[in-house]
Amino acid sequence: MDKLILTLDKGTTCTAWNYSGHRLAAGSTDGTVAIYDSTDPVSSTFNCTSRFKVQESSILKVVWIPPEYGDAVACIATDGTLSLWEEVAQDTEALHWKLCKCFERNTSQVLDIQFGDSRTSLKLVAAYSDGQVKIFELLDPLELEKWQVQAEFQNIIDLVSKFGNASCSSASISWNPQRGELQQSSFILGFSSNSPLLNSSKVWEFDQDHQRWLPVAELASPEDKSDQVFAVAWAPNIGRPYELIAVATNKGIAIWHLGSNPDSNGRLSTEKVAVLSGHDGEVQQMEWDMSGMTLASTGSDGMVKLWQSNLNGVWHEQAILAPVFPEQ
Amino acid sequence: MPGVTSSSSDSALSIVPHSSDSQSPRVYPLRHHGLTPPLARVSISWARGNTLRVSLIQSEAVSKQQTGGEVVEVKLTNMEGGEVTDGQWRRIAYGSVTPFALLQSRKNSMDSSHRSKDWWEHVMEYSREINSLLANSKSSGNVVIEDPKALLKKEEEPTSLKAAWELMEIFYADKQSETCIPERLLDWLADYDCLFSGTQPTVHAKLVDFQKQLVTLQVIENDPKYWEAMSSALAVGWLDIVVKLLHLHGSYQFDQLGNRETENGLVEAVAVLISQMPRMRPDLPSGKLGECYQTKPEFMKAWEKWRSQITKLDCSSFWLQCDHHQTREGLKNMLQIMLGNTSILSHVTYHWIELYISHFLYIRPFTVGLENMCNLAQKCMHLKPISNHHKLMGLIIGILEENIEVVLAECSRSFDPWMITHAIELLTAGSTQAEILLLEEQSKLGGISIEELQRLVYAQVLSSYAMTWNIAPIYLTSCMKQGMGLLENLLYRQPVQNHQVLLKSIEICRLNELGIVSSNMMKIYGVHKWKHGQKGSAVFWLQQAQDEVRLNRIAKQLFDFVGKSVSDESFKQWEGLIELLGTESSTAGSLKFLNIYRDFKRSLLQVHGETTTDAAGKAVESLVSLMKNPSTPQRFWLPVLYDSLKLLNWQERPLLNVAQTHLLLNKLQELSIAKLKPDFINADSPPEALNSVRLALATNLGRAILEE
Amino acid sequence: MALSTFPPPNPIQIHRLPQFTYIDALRWLPQVSAFSRHILLATYDSDTSTPSIQILTFTPAQNAKSTPSLTHQISLSTPSRITSLKIAPSPLNPSKPLIAASTFSGSLLFYSADLIDGSLNLEFSVPEKGFHWGAVSGIDLSDNGSECVSVENGRVNLVSLGEKWNARTVFDSNGLVSYSTVRWASPVEFVTGGLGFGMHWWDQRKPGGPVVLFKGNWSRGTTSGIVHSVDIHRSRKHTCLAGGSSGTVFAWDIRWQQQPIILSGAWAGGGPANSLSESEVWEVQYDSYRHSSNTGNVSSSKILPAMICTEDGILAVVEQGEEPVELLAEPCAINSFDIDKENPSDVICSLEWESIAILMRPQDRRQ
Repeated sequence: MDKLILTLDKGTTCTAWNYSGHRLAAGSTDGTVAIYDSTDPVSSTFNCTSRFKVQESSILKVVWIPPEYGDAVACIATDGTLSLWEEVAQDTEALHWKLCKCFERNTSQVLDIQFGDSRTSLKLVAAYSDGQVKIFELLDPLELEKWQVQAEFQNIIDLVSKFGNASCSSASISWNPQRGELQQSSFILGFSSNSPLLNSSKVWEFDQDHQRWLPVAELASPEDKSDQVFAVAWAPNIGRPYELIAVATNKGIAIWHLGSNPDSNGRLSTEKVAVLSGHDGEVQQMEWDMSGMTLASTGSDGMVKLWQSNLNGVWHEQAILAPVFPEQ
Repeated sequence: MPGVTSSSSDSALSIVPHSSDSQSPRVYPLRHHGLTPPLARVSISWARGNTLRVSLIQSEAVSKQQTGGEVVEVKLTNMEGGEVTDGQWRRIAYGSVTPFALLQSRKNSMDSSHRSKDWWEHVMEYSREINSLLANSKSSGNVVIEDPKALLKKEEEPTSLKAAWELMEIFYADKQSETCIPERLLDWLADYDCLFSGTQPTVHAKLVDFQKQLVTLQVIENDPKYWEAMSSALAVGWLDIVVKLLHLHGSYQFDQLGNRETENGLVEAVAVLISQMPRMRPDLPSGKLGECYQTKPEFMKAWEKWRSQITKLDCSSFWLQCDHHQTREGLKNMLQIMLGNTSILSHVTYHWIELYISHFLYIRPFTVGLENMCNLAQKCMHLKPISNHHKLMGLIIGILEENIEVVLAECSRSFDPWMITHAIELLTAGSTQAEILLLEEQSKLGGISIEELQRLVYAQVLSSYAMTWNIAPIYLTSCMKQGMGLLENLLYRQPVQNHQVLLKSIEICRLNELGIVSSNMMKIYGVHKWKHGQKGSAVFWLQQAQDEVRLNRIAKQLFDFVGKSVSDESFKQWEGLIELLGTESSTAGSLKFLNIYRDFKRSLLQVHGETTTDAAGKAVESLVSLMKNPSTPQRFWLPVLYDSLKLLNWQERPLLNVAQTHLLLNKLQELSIAKLKPDFINADSPPEALNSVRLALATNLGRAILEE
Repeated sequence: MALSTFPPPNPIQIHRLPQFTYIDALRWLPQVSAFSRHILLATYDSDTSTPSIQILTFTPAQNAKSTPSLTHQISLSTPSRITSLKIAPSPLNPSKPLIAASTFSGSLLFYSADLIDGSLNLEFSVPEKGFHWGAVSGIDLSDNGSECVSVENGRVNLVSLGEKWNARTVFDSNGLVSYSTVRWASPVEFVTGGLGFGMHWWDQRKPGGPVVLFKGNWSRGTTSGIVHSVDIHRSRKHTCLAGGSSGTVFAWDIRWQQQPIILSGAWAGGGPANSLSESEVWEVQYDSYRHSSNTGNVSSSKILPAMICTEDGILAVVEQGEEPVELLAEPCAINSFDIDKENPSDVICSLEWESIAILMRPQDRRQ
């Protein structure tokens, strides 16, 4: 049932698989990123094929760019920097990883990033430790050096109020994975911060007519709005009439249904269909499978948990995967 | 899944949705090789299908750490708990595609009202084909010499998978044998009784034991085991084995004929009665004994007659002349079995289902209807309670209780999603109740039916394996609501940067009319090739993808390059690429102009210093055709004209005639207007370019007018 | 995928033998005796992620009811999956053929087999990186086994096999041209096929680049295709038979450079009758079975019959001006096939679903 497929370098801090699960990027404490490849698309044997130094500080997170833009990874370092590296072999050079872009920064740090796969252009959402959200847009589909800031806002419903001195410890972003041509770009974002209004996860949608991002839903019950959000995950939708989003807070993992038709205020209907016990400790990561039927989560308790809705439509904990250590 | 609680598959993990919600989640161990606690982090990623990749990252706090962590792949699929190998599982998966697809297309071509009548015949055809795949034939060729003492022929390894399939076929699909279900159950038990031997005594196990001793026995009829084995086999209706054993009786030997005639006569009489047993079934396979009756009245008549013959023999006076005690008692015992002596039947059978069969054979031969069958089963279970439940038992009970939900739950609990997906065809053929339950779209399932849900789950299992992912589309296209959505997601996760995978994926897109997905794959491949310096292949695939945005972008890069370093050796390469693009018909799109531009640039190069006016004239021709060409993008106009200043200001004579100069002036005019629009793309030309070109053109026009 | 089965009145014997492993390539080996035949397989075991090259002994069916059997004789694991497999008979010793295999990782492997001993030895290999950079897409051995030409994305390479082997690059397009397949036409000439239904004719006496170029420009609409396989008949070296995308099969005579004869495919015109398949044609070979006796009688302007296999599961014989003859219609792709050179009636195919199909056409066929 379980099979060891690769062994990581010493000092590894984070890993990320590419779109097809045939390449793994692993960041480490000394600021290098190692790339592991399978020998062919069928094999599940992986070898390290390259290593490159990104930063002096430790790597916090690595994210692959969508494959339509080549093989590239964005790296967040613990010092809060964000850089983009690409694998190329142009003209006479051999294949190598090169730095494409170092995103400029002020005093705040980058906490989380996600690429949004829009048909028109590639977008990158970055959430910063001061509660700011920046959306970068790629200008040239074949050149990953050129980005521009498309929008900058805070994760609050009331667009008038602004926070000067919010301090966030983590953020989680998840794009709507739908790729349909008619689909509006939208993503969900939640913070873990000292500022209650920033925390609750909100769904942001790009308003084509006014060329701006608008919050269209808030996934938190009135009494939970100030809860710190640990992780969010937007499920793939293969034909359900509603969207499915998981939000993890200190109260557990909540499963939300999000309607598709906006009301007169432009808001989408929301319904919290389940609150699951979650993990013993913080939820660290949540991932939906490709059908959007099973949610996998990890927590600071070191467990992997699988969640599913049964034939009666009731969400429940399906299984737990627990690493075992030999008695010492 | 919590459902997987059968003791046989301890490591099997599956994530099939089921209906029970009371159970607590099961904990599965994640094995690894050399990690020491604590872990710094566990991170997850779904690979294709039901495959979850877990990165176990070692904490740096551990001083003696060998590695930084491990990545473990977990397949969340219960692949038959080891009963069949992966290779055989794939063979079953491949083989079921055609029968499944054929049945679906038949279903679609018939309207539902029309279907009911002979539909089961199609389902039976389907069922037989699937059943033949499950046969795990390991026999190597034909056995030429048959061992006369071999009781149990082992042609194939029986599996629970096949046993379960046949059960459902008997009860749901085969309308022809509805009247002889007990007989079919008897055949079924003869094939699969051995499956129960693992956990408890069975008739089969007893016969296997006896078979081992058979060769060493001198006087077989003196051994009580001989009689026990025969009684047990008789009770469950394995008549051929009983008769074969009877014929081993010592009284048949030539040297015995003189003094054991009566004994031999009695043995033979019992053997004849056994082989004449009336059976309520259309036919018997060769080698099996009994006399078949198709209609109930005929069968009843024959049955009564047969029973009266047994009673007659039982009361015969010949028994007194039989000196051999064991033979007399053993044969009498067998007659009692045939007369339906409850306590003896209970004594010679072990498993409740064996007792159940013996009841059908000798006590209630006229049992019909599932309700009666179910009551009888409950009685037998009560008489022979079993501690260890085999996974087939739950299925049998569910079937007899006519509880389709239990059958579903048992199927998905004990077998992998292949089973339930394919068995649903049998279940829906069986009853309207099942059809409603399985085909009704339910909002709690996200608007799909259980049938569709199971197919989606199975397709996801298929997608977990590199060898079977490309049969998932067959099942997904049979899902009306969510199949295409999942197919798109599946295709988006294919490693299309591999050429072979790309071509096979494109074919699936072609068959399912997923043009957008297919162009996206070509785009991914094209960009991959571009980034790897394989420009020819990149351009080809981007053209196939009709990705105008990227092609224009490449055109610009080529333009810049050709514009900058024409004399370079690498120009030759670019020229090759332009050649490749240029001859392509409409597909080249905006790249076509590069061809002309290349010609222009080449002739412009020859116009060095003191060259002839002829060469310059040629360059002008190219310039004009370049500017005339509608595919030349506007942003290149100014750079081209600026490059041509030398030609416009030709000393000897004006190279452009009036009409040509007007054409260029018009273009310049258009450009000035376009400059005011917001979407104007500014080419990298010096700021004075526009003015110098305008001036040069004006001068040229003046000179041309004077010449003409 | 076609689900129809072949009509019953069919004298061809067809046997499908599951292998429980993916078959990347397969070839008949030269026949040593009347009783034993050998098949060379390049396989990939997905359970263990091991690629290997194997020799199997093929025992034909003894009578009409029994099935033929395949028994494993020898198996060697290979460093990477095999992309193409070719065999050259040894001129001196027919039981010891030379085998060339190209791999996904870019190496070339040369084996010698001994069919009597049942042994298979790796003679030498040209390592990956440097010679080929990526997956080798096609190779071909010259008739006498003295030279091996191999192609990949952007490169044409040649290995001379003698006492000491030597490898060199014939042409490097620096990624501008992609080659997918290659075939010798004569000891000094070969033809490559690639993108855009492009074909290049090379002559070693004229180095520096291809001598004749052809580009399929019949594409309607906006898509083009790839040549996946090329065959050249020894008696007519100027005619290149090519199969590729969209069910396309065409013949290109280098003396009539820009006028290909389209035998099948979406571009063939004349309605769907000529279009046997719309998916990839993975392999083409001249089918010497039907005309083995009277090749001479056939007008030299007529293209000889060709066998093709396709992604949508069809194995068929196409002939200029005639209806194609379908030999197999499988529910899965037929990835490759090989016609036995000594017994052209016998064909082996590799099926996508981890099995081999063996077709035995009646030998005493009357024209």
